[in-house]
This record gives sequence, C-alpha cells and structure tokens, in this order.
Amino acid sequence: MSKLEYTPVEEIPKIHADLYRGFRTGKTKSIEYRKDQLLRLAYLLQDNKKRFEDALFADLGRPHPESVLLELDPLIGDIKEAYGSVKKWSATEKVRFSPKWFPMGPAIRKEPKGVALIIAPFNYPVLLLLGPFASAIAAGCAAVIKPSELTPATSALMGELVSKHLDQDVYRLVNGAIPETTKLLELPWNHILYTGNGRVAKLVSHAAAEHLTPLTLELGGKSAVIIDPKCDLPTAAKRILWGKVANAGQICLAPDYVLVPRQFQDTFVAALQRAFNEFFPVDPLKAPEGTMAHVISDAHVQRLKRLLDATRGTIAIGGQVDAARRFIVPTVVKDVKTDDALMSEEIFGPILPVLPVDSVDEAIEIVNARDHPLALYVFTTDAKFKAKVFDNTQSGAAIANEVVIHLGVDHLPFGGIGPSGSGYTTGKFGFDTFTHLRATIDNPSWVDKLVMSARYPPYDRGAIQKLNKMSKPTLPPRPGSRPSLLKRWPLWLILALVGLVTKVKWRSIVGSAA
Amino acid sequence: MADTLPFTPIDEIPKIHRELGEVFQTGKTRSIAFRKQQLLQLCYLLQDNTERFQEALFSDLGRPREEAAYLELIGTLLEVKDAHDKVNKWAKTKKSPFHFLWGTLSPQTRKEPKGTVLIISPFNYPIWLTLCPVSSAIAAGNVVLLKPSELSPATAALLTELIPKYLDPDLVRVVNGGVPETTKILELPFDHILYTGNNRVAKIVSAAAAQHLTPVTLELGGKSPCVIDPKCNAKVAAKRIMWGKLLNCGQLCLAPDYILVPESFQDEFVEALVNAYHELHPTDPKTSGMVGKIVNERHMKRLKQLLNDTKGEIVFGGEVDMAAKYIAPTLIRDVTRDDALMSEEIFGPLLPVVPVKDVEEAIAIVNSMDHALNLYIFSDDRAFKDKVLNRTRSGTASMNEVVLHVIANDAPFGGVGGSGHGYTTGKAGFDTFTHFRCTVDHPAWYVDSCCRASVPVTH
Repeated sequence: MSKLEYTPVEEIPKIHADLYRGFRTGKTKSIEYRKDQLLRLAYLLQDNKKRFEDALFADLGRPHPESVLLELDPLIGDIKEAYGSVKKWSATEKVRFSPKWFPMGPAIRKEPKGVALIIAPFNYPVLLLLGPFASAIAAGCAAVIKPSELTPATSALMGELVSKHLDQDVYRLVNGAIPETTKLLELPWNHILYTGNGRVAKLVSHAAAEHLTPLTLELGGKSAVIIDPKCDLPTAAKRILWGKVANAGQICLAPDYVLVPRQFQDTFVAALQRAFNEFFPVDPLKAPEGTMAHVISDAHVQRLKRLLDATRGTIAIGGQVDAARRFIVPTVVKDVKTDDALMSEEIFGPILPVLPVDSVDEAIEIVNARDHPLALYVFTTDAKFKAKVFDNTQSGAAIANEVVIHLGVDHLPFGGIGPSGSGYTTGKFGFDTFTHLRATIDNPSWVDKLVMSARYPPYDRGAIQKLNKMSKPTLPPRPGSRPSLLKRWPLWLILALVGLVTKVKWRSIVGSAA
Repeated sequence: MADTLPFTPIDEIPKIHRELGEVFQTGKTRSIAFRKQQLLQLCYLLQDNTERFQEALFSDLGRPREEAAYLELIGTLLEVKDAHDKVNKWAKTKKSPFHFLWGTLSPQTRKEPKGTVLIISPFNYPIWLTLCPVSSAIAAGNVVLLKPSELSPATAALLTELIPKYLDPDLVRVVNGGVPETTKILELPFDHILYTGNNRVAKIVSAAAAQHLTPVTLELGGKSPCVIDPKCNAKVAAKRIMWGKLLNCGQLCLAPDYILVPESFQDEFVEALVNAYHELHPTDPKTSGMVGKIVNERHMKRLKQLLNDTKGEIVFGGEVDMAAKYIAPTLIRDVTRDDALMSEEIFGPLLPVVPVKDVEEAIAIVNSMDHALNLYIFSDDRAFKDKVLNRTRSGTASMNEVVLHVIANDAPFGGVGGSGHGYTTGKAGFDTFTHFRCTVDHPAWYVDSCCRASVPVTH
C-alpha cells in the first residue's frame, strides 16, 4: 500500500492562491464543466472500486462487501444524483408571484460561494470527503479537500486519483496532520465543511471566525435508542446490533446507548444475543480477517478498553479485546447507570451499553440531560409512543425502527443540532451549502408614475397616506378580543327571523282567537 | 440620550438566559397557535405605537416622521404579518417526494425550533433589524434574548417597555447595555446567534460562538456600488440613487455607497444627480430636517475625516456641523479608486462618483473590494446587466432600483464573503432559526437485504 505523503506546509498557501486564481477564471460556472468533473469523479470511484475496497480493508479491516454497500455504491449514487440534478438545482429561481412586487421581477440566482475547504474524518474516509466534494463541484465551487491521516492507504489512493482525474486548477487534495491542517485553517475560505469531533470543531470554528467564513459542522455525540416493549423485537435487536458491528461502531450515527424498560431488559439482551449468533456463527475472535471492521488505531483501542474496564455494568455479550489486531468483539453491557464510564463520551466503537429505566419519561429525561444527539432512535409500533419521544426531545434526526441508513435516504436534509453540528449535507442540501442565493430585482421606471413616487421627498402628506394605505396590512382582531357586533350578524339575522316568525304566529293565534 | 436607557445589570444576564432556556423546555413555544398569537400581538405593538416609534426614531436619528412611517414601520409590520399568516405553512412537516427505494420508510422533515436565540441589532434601522428577526425566531418556535443597540437609546427604551406588555413576558427578554453587557451575553451558550452590524464586532461574535459551536448568521455591510450604463434612464436612476443615499442620512447597509460611471458620461450623470437632489430637497435639509442626522460624535468625526481627505471635487455639500450632528448631503466627482472615500463603507450622506474607462474597469474595481452586500446596476441593456452580474459577486443584486429589494417577499436576503453569511426576511428568516429534523419509520417487513445485505458476511 502506498505510504501517505504529506503535502509540504509551505506549498499550502500557494495551492490556496492557485485555486482562487482558478476560480476567478469563471470556468466552474459552466454546468457542462461541472457535470464533466462530476462524471470523472464517479468513474474515478467505479473504475477503482477494488483498490478502494483494499485500501479500506488495510486502514479499517473493513469487509469488502460492507465497503461497497455502505460507502462506495451510495457515494457513486450521490455523485450520479448531483450529475443529473445540477442543472435543475442551479437554475435561477423566479420568486412566487406577489401583487405588490411582481413588476420588480424578483428572482434568486444560485451562485458558487467561491473556494471551499472540506475536512473529512477517518471512519468513512471516502464518503465523507468525496460526498461533500461532489456537492461543492455541483455548486460551482473550487475546493481543497483534506482527508484524514488516520487512513493512510485510503487517503493516499484518493490523492493519487484526484490529481490524475480532476482539474487541478480548481480542485486539490491536501494530505497531512496537525501542522498541515493548521496551515489550511489560517487561510481565508468561502466555506468550510468539517466532519469530525467537537474538540477539533471548536478549533475550526475559531479559525473560521477570523475570516468570517461560513461553516458547516457534521459532528457526533451519543445517539440514544429508546425501546418500547411494543416493538418488533427481533428486527430491533438485529438493526441495533448491526449499527455497532458495521465499521465496528465507528459511525457518527451509530446507536450509542440503549434505554429499555427495566422489566424488558433481559428479554432485549436475549434478542441481542440471538442477533449476535446470527451475525457470527463463528466466534468473531477466531473468524478470518474481513469478517468485521477493526478499531482505527491503538489509541482508540486503549480508549475503548479503558471504558470497558471502568464500567460498573455487567458484560452480557462479548467483551474480548484483541489489542494486537485492534479488534474488539461486539459487546453488550447491561445494567448501566447514567454516571457510568460508558456514558461519559461518544463510544465510537463496538460496545453497546444498555440502561434500564422505569418509564419513557425517565428515558426522555436522560436524553434531554445530555447534548442534543445527531440521531435519536425509537423502536416501537405505537404511534403515540413515537410522538411522545420525538415531540419532547431535540436531535439531528428522529428515526423510528431503524438506525443509520437515513443518511442514504434521498431528499432528507442531514445535519445536527447543538453540539452535534450545524448546517446540512447530502443531495440538494449539500448543493445549497456551497451555494450563495443572490436575490435580484429589476425595477422598471414606470412604477414611480404610480404610487411609488410617494417615497420621494419632499413628503406629500396625501401621497404618503395613499402609499401607506396601499401597503399597510389589515390585522385580524386582537388576540383575546370579543368579535364585534358586526361580526355576529348571522346571530342577529337568526334572532330577527325567529322574532318575525313568532310575531306572525302570535298574530295568527290571536287573530283566530278573536 | 444614554441616560434614558437603563442598562441591564451584568449579573442578571445569566439568570435571564437560564430562565429563557427553562421556558423553552416547557414546550410552550412549540404550539403554532401560541406563535401566531404572539406574532399578532407584535403586529399590534407596531400598529398601536406608530407615533411613539416615530418620535423615538426622530430623537435617535433625526429621522423624518413620514420616512419612518412608510419605510421602516410599515415595512416591519408587513414582515411580521407575513410571518403570522404563513407560520402554519412554514412549520408544517414536509413529506419527501416519493422514491421507490425509500417510500416505505415515510421520510419526512420536521421543522423544529432550535431553542434560545440571540439577536443583536444595530442602531440604524433599530425596529426593522430587531422586530423582523424577532418575528422569524418566534415563528420558528424559539425563545429570544434581544440586545438592541445602545446607540439608539430612545428606540431601545421603547422596545424594552412595549415588548413585555404585548408579548408573553417569558418569550422575548430584552437586555440593554454596551460592551461589558454584550461581552457577558456572548459568554453564554445559544442555539443560534443573529448579528447585524459591522465586520469588526462580527469577528468577536463569531469567536464567542465558536466556543459553544453555535451557528451564526451575520448581516454585515460593505461598499454597495452603483454601476451606470449610459443606456439607462438617467433621470430615474439619479433620483433613485439620491433617494437611497439620503435615507436615514446614508446610514443604511443597503445604501448605494459609490457610483461607477463611464468617463464620457460623468458630466451628464452628475448633472442628473444634482437635479435629482434639488427635486428631492428643494429646501436645505438642515432646515427641513428631511435627511436626519448622524447617530453620534464618533461617526461624525469619521465622516469629517473622509471629507477632509478626499481628493475628489465636491460638487455640492461639504458642510459639517459637529454640534448638530449634521453633515450636508455631499456629491463628490472624479474620485479615484485609492481615494479616502473608497477605503471604507461610508454610512453617511457622501456620494462619490468614480469615473471609469469602461464597464471592464468598473467590474475590476468592484472585484477589487470585499464582496458587497448589494450590487446596483442601472441599465436598460440586458447584455450589460448580465455581464456585470456574471462577472461579480454580491449578497444581492438590484437593477434600476436601490434598497427596496429587501422587502420583496420570498427573496432571501443575505451577504457573501465580507458582507456576511446566512439569510433573513420571510421564509429564509424562519429557516434560519429552524432545525430541519429528518425522520423515517422503517417497517419491520421491509426487506433488510436491499440496504444491508446479510451483514456481516462470513467467508
């Protein structure tokens, strides 16, 4: 596998200047150009799929089919979507008709923000770099993309292929670690998209603040799972465990911890065990390489081992750590309490703490006591239960009876809230992230001949009053006020009719009696 | 006037912030009916107190009462009413279009409030730039900590009095103060910050937000150029530019800052500007009061310095009365790119005219500066307009008009580069303060294999 060569720090300002120059030529404005580059990006992936699979296996021990199904194919699909939609997304939008403003022909132009910086993490190193990259290309931006140094094989491969296939005038890949990233962040960009953790996100935000650069942050947190006994238990157990097995649980959207009714905990853990046996007919410690992904680095293995050693819960499934191979068996820990070590940070590994609770209210309280998670998962067939949880919490996404895959669902904005991030990616939302909406109007001269001339001093009382009368909205009745007598005319009409009928009838009665 | 605006005690600020968070947690702002009621109350706050607002604006800025009425007050009322009328529609959960792979998952996007929002507004349009974003934040279901500018104390005091009277007192809390109070506010965590003002303070706000990873919207300013094509209606163009320049004595982020005109056309256009000025102000504005005054001594000194340093030729104006905080509307011609008047956003009633060789030079000058908040083009020629539009970048672009594009419904208003980021007004304002929370519900029967295969795979 190619070793990862870092971009020399002193070259970085030059790359930055080159890209600004390239952007200013205006070449990225052309839709044909953008489509051409997007197609190259798609083929870059498709033609080299096997090399990507091998690189991901080398860096993460990821099974080849998992890489294809969860990273490479969805990414190619995203790029294809951008390729097919870029014309539509970038078309100038005419603003909806309004009788007041239509002569001005208001419209919204979609323009590239300029030169973007995209920084990606180690866990889905291809998807989380080239996905936003495709959005930036579609939006007409130039971009510097910076993959993680923790995935040297994959980052080296991307460096090689991007420089070979994409226009280096406007797109460059920079490899490096802290010094290189620091250099990048000293420079002014027109948008920065950072995917990773909260600590580094603050550094990125501070750097962006210096230049008033707009930011999109895709972070993480502890994505909670709430279980209702009224759920399809085997499916729930399978899907949740899968979320800890895929990529060894190193997914920003991985189900982090589970809140389950106390009396249901054992049933739930038993279901997890059955799912585990289905996934691993062979003891995973003895299974061949490529059965399940590894933890990314020794440091992370040590971190996860420390959490396991410190937990005061009971290990119900797994628990074995093979530090040499950086492999941790998918582990379920039950009877975990809220102050446990496993609840102190985002786990980002194949360990699933299960916390017994006494009510859904307690579950909601536990979720709300923490930072807003990137995802909140609920397993239930009861619509009321689902609504109660969603309506009383905040999270990036609110997902029922599933984990993780909403990232791949078309037409959904993907983004966090609070410490789990800000801004949105995927699909059109990614395009919009790198796009400036430039509102325009074109006001003909003749409007001044009508009432608009009233705006000019010297202010003519009468003309201003006319203008105000035309523009001023009529308000509905004040909140809490009783409707005016006039508004009650149906009531008066009925009373009058009743009165009339009574009078006529009375007359006829009196008349006949006379 | 500072003594009419009591500042909030600094140690009360964290308490106010905490109380706002607690109110949000109760969930009361999630009710659409509640939001509509509050927005309607906000409309009445404006409608019932038009005269008092006119007085306050006159006190703070010398703003002519007619101008305050037709532009800022009605403009704000229109925006708030728009939010009231549309909040149902804006807040509705959006179903994703059908997709054969994902249809069974019922993908939807919920519109949810972010939580506690901080709005910091400036002195120049202290009602529009305060109550419009407040209405967006309320419509989106948030609670608000509002920090109006201490440089327009009469207006800030009036807002402080009226807001708890008309609105639920828990919903919008007003904090008044200067730098120490604002610094205290910025130490606290918010779920979104909207800052309208200048770049220097914007950096401070952004750095404070970075500490808490708070998303920020910045509505800043810059030098908004007017690019003139001889093929335009010079009379109308000159009138509209002069009108826009002198609103609020030039203290408007939307004001046409400077003019770029072909050398051969400068004489004619300057004449048109002179005529327009006299049409708009047949009486000296110093006596008529129709232009207003500069907000404070610091800005007076700044503008006086620009006038002293310019190497252009003053066509009319130039008078400075420090005591009255009055600067006469001033037209300066033959200004060069490196003139003092081209070094910063003017934000005053000085209008430099910069003669250029051709439109290429005009475009080069525009591009040599930070991206402007607004780009103004005066031309009847489609090709000319397209050329300038396509070769420049700006927050917004308005042709044959100035200023008014900000009230055109449904067009998002926001800067780019040094003029800011994020959008306000209308639905864009609502979206700014909203979290798009996507949801799916995956039935058990939907075959897993299409998205997962039988993972993990054992060899």
